[in-house]
Amino acid sequence: MSDPDEYIALVSSLPSSERLFVAKQPPLSRLRLDRRLAALSAEHSLMLAQIEALLSWSAYDMQADEAVAIRRAKAALRDIAQPTLRAIVQDRMELRTAVAALRLRARGDGPPPGAWGLGRWTRHIAANWSEPTFRLDRSMPWLREAARMIEHRDPLELQRHLLDVSFRRLQRHAARHQFDFEAVVIYVLKWNIFDRWAQANAEAAARRFSELSLEALRDFPDLMLEGQAP
Amino acid sequence: MTEFVLALGWLGIYAPMALGTIASAIGCSIAGQASIGAMLETEGGYGRFVGISAFPSTFVIYGIVIMFTLNREVTPENAGGLFGVGLLAGIALMYCGIWQGRACASAINASKEKPEIFGLSLAPAAIIEGFGVFAFVFALVISAGIS
Repeated sequence: MSDPDEYIALVSSLPSSERLFVAKQPPLSRLRLDRRLAALSAEHSLMLAQIEALLSWSAYDMQADEAVAIRRAKAALRDIAQPTLRAIVQDRMELRTAVAALRLRARGDGPPPGAWGLGRWTRHIAANWSEPTFRLDRSMPWLREAARMIEHRDPLELQRHLLDVSFRRLQRHAARHQFDFEAVVIYVLKWNIFDRWAQANAEAAARRFSELSLEALRDFPDLMLEGQAP
Repeated sequence: MTEFVLALGWLGIYAPMALGTIASAIGCSIAGQASIGAMLETEGGYGRFVGISAFPSTFVIYGIVIMFTLNREVTPENAGGLFGVGLLAGIALMYCGIWQGRACASAINASKEKPEIFGLSLAPAAIIEGFGVFAFVFALVISAGIS
């Protein structure tokens, strides 16, 4: 349990996490966030970096495999003393394990042999591989919707759905922490979700723009674009 | 043994003052840190943040008044009463001050985003002040019965 009043000034200097999702422009850039996070103690700063390295996809190389994530998760769980942060890491790894299982099954693979994934449900998932939601409806009610999106090959919607699930779980943990280290970590993780959400929206907007452009140009087959050979 | 009982009496006289000071110091520090943080994020209205952060300073005043009310010649007969009333009133003031500081910090954190809830967000701090006033007033009332 952290000191409940340890980071009062830091938390008060951050815009509310709810504002992150309603703002058209990000109310806080990563640069400004990092400047504010300079108020963290050296130990907490390292722990935050460790948690971000585990939970942010941008902290992984393209070639990184499941073993890297599991190794980082085990190291983080060994080092993190705060029960709330441990629960957040475990929650997120269980979410990833369940989604990885859905993807494997959609690809036509069987349950992975031996030790795989992380969390309480790995054996349960393998034992209920043929069930639509691995019989995890009660623990993971969002899994049915995620399975549907994977089947319909809709990665953008799936990403939004998972970000939404992760955000709601963080909100649940945030209710018990206001000015302590856990509150700071939860805020940064929410900021990361917002960042990925904004990137997903930008990608969707770019794709939609491209589709509309092609549709509009279809009516003008003789139109020569700049740089295009006649 | 008599000296120990007399020492407890003196402890009871000074406890409200000391614990009230601790309450105000911690409470103002907590709320003050929140106001400093909020100043970084807002463009104006700094004065009201600083004003809220001074709310917990009332507890030291309550402590001083209780101390002067309890202040009398300490005898083996009245030392127990002075000790009980003074110490418990001081503890009550200390908890009220610290938690009022936290309530003020939450109010500052919330009202920096939504200035329209500024007044309402102070309600929890005001309620805690009410509890502190209860402890203060009834410490004065009960101290009248100590010879």
